[in-house]
Amino acid sequence: MLLCLSIAACSAQPVINDEMMHIEGAMPADLSGSWQRNYLRGDEVNAVLYRAYYQLGRSSRDLRYARSRDTSPASSKDMASVLALARLADLITRPDVLTISQTEYELSVAREDDYAIFCAFYDGLAKATDSDYGTELCGWDGSHLVSHLVLPDGLEVIHRFTVSEDGDELRVVTTVSSSASPVPFTLQRFYTKFERLPGEFNCIETLSMKRVCSTGEIVP
Amino acid sequence: MKKFIDERSTRSVPLVVILLLGIPLQGATAESLASGADAIFAKDARNVPALNISIAVFDPGVPTDQSLHRDLEVIPRIREIEAMFLPFVLRETLARTNEWGAVRVVPEPDISAELLLSGTIVRSDGEILELEIRAVDASGRVWLDKTFAGVATDSYAQHDDESGVPGYQMLYDQIAEDLLLARAGSNNESLEDIADISLLRYASQLAPSAFSHYLNETADGTFLLDRLPAENDPMLGRIERIRAVEYVITDAVDTKFQELNAEIASTYDLWRQYRRKFVEYRMQDAEWAQETKPDAPRGSYESIKSLYDNYRWHRISAQVRDNLAVAFDNEVGPTVEAMEVRIAELEGWVDQQYAEWNRLLEELFEIETG
Repeated sequence: MLLCLSIAACSAQPVINDEMMHIEGAMPADLSGSWQRNYLRGDEVNAVLYRAYYQLGRSSRDLRYARSRDTSPASSKDMASVLALARLADLITRPDVLTISQTEYELSVAREDDYAIFCAFYDGLAKATDSDYGTELCGWDGSHLVSHLVLPDGLEVIHRFTVSEDGDELRVVTTVSSSASPVPFTLQRFYTKFERLPGEFNCIETLSMKRVCSTGEIVP
Repeated sequence: MKKFIDERSTRSVPLVVILLLGIPLQGATAESLASGADAIFAKDARNVPALNISIAVFDPGVPTDQSLHRDLEVIPRIREIEAMFLPFVLRETLARTNEWGAVRVVPEPDISAELLLSGTIVRSDGEILELEIRAVDASGRVWLDKTFAGVATDSYAQHDDESGVPGYQMLYDQIAEDLLLARAGSNNESLEDIADISLLRYASQLAPSAFSHYLNETADGTFLLDRLPAENDPMLGRIERIRAVEYVITDAVDTKFQELNAEIASTYDLWRQYRRKFVEYRMQDAEWAQETKPDAPRGSYESIKSLYDNYRWHRISAQVRDNLAVAFDNEVGPTVEAMEVRIAELEGWVDQQYAEWNRLLEELFEIETG
């Protein structure tokens, strides 16, 4: 039997269903704060890639066995597509620091060298960010925040954020899938909460003077 | 028909009243506003009565449904500032025509204004400004109810060939022209009636017992002059004096809008230019994304990274734009807030006085009419 490997293809269920798009009252978890990557924990890309190759090879064998009892390995095209997903997943999950700000309606995950993931729940309903370049939607799966980005050509990026019970650790599971690849690629990253030290200067951004800093209170 | 003593400008406010009330005498008169300005519009050949114009702070046009703000690229705080800032540009344009009496920006619509202009910001993205403008005179007649749209010209780099002026000036000029066209349809007598109705509507708000029967309100909400008070009516004299005092306050408020304009005009212009650039960049990005479809095979790293990068850049540029909005607010916010506080103080003073005047006038009317 063909293994169910692609999240999107696995089930008819959407990544974020109606129930996940609705929240009542406050957001189910508080993810706000500054989070620093914990390199002691989390996946190593090559190890996950080997596992993916193995899985791909096995599923390929299973399929071929079922069809013709041919036990040839997975095609190089499939392997190349999984490698591409792995490289993209590695790139996306590279930031060392995540800064999450959260209000009653909005949540934003700021990442170095990348756009901030933005989730809005106006009137308790998730609001998608839609453009010609892709669509981003968030939802809450219990206390897990799920962000789903759908890009052209069947490329999808899913982040699943889970904060530990004591609120000190954040786990981010990132899955990249593509309709061109038979399997998705998933990386797990862990982050530890830290307090940013107050800066020596108070700074604000302005239009005419750009960044304005002072040791005292700033009056633009 | 009797011609009222018309307090066209703050010059006619007795100095003693101003000194007693401690009000700063900084109101702008029609003459002072228009003096030296270039008249760019065709003059009305008639010697028409110069109606006073009140321009209410615009409706920012912010949808109540928050979820629409991002889609429509509406930044509520910026719109609030624009709602206070843009009426002043219109006020300057109208004053420059030399065709009107005093042109003032007021925080709230004044229903007894001789000619009241109200507006809603429909669109303002740095490239296009769209304003819905409604002009109604004191009799309730609608002079103008129209949406005006203007494409920005860059005040530093490029001037519009036709008008020779920067920004959205052509839009404001169009509004001024349309107002003059609307006025051309009225004869002098009906324009004089508007000024009389305005004073009587003001008077009937302050002393309803004495003045409510001079006007007839028709089913369609317009007001007709039924008759006029006697020329030496002491109550009318009091109303005129009170209105003159209120004009002084209105002019002080108007001066605050003038100060706001002077303080934030250059920063607003920067903001507008940034927004305009963003619109341009976004169009270029879209073209670029269309033209540069990756040659790499579908599913390859180059192909999927390109798809991700397109989205990433699109979102980053939107976030930079949001940050610029914050920077704009950081810069002009304190000025706006200080002005709001001062206007609220002045308005509060008027409201307080208004209640007192209302009480005194009603008592006086009762005493005088037995």
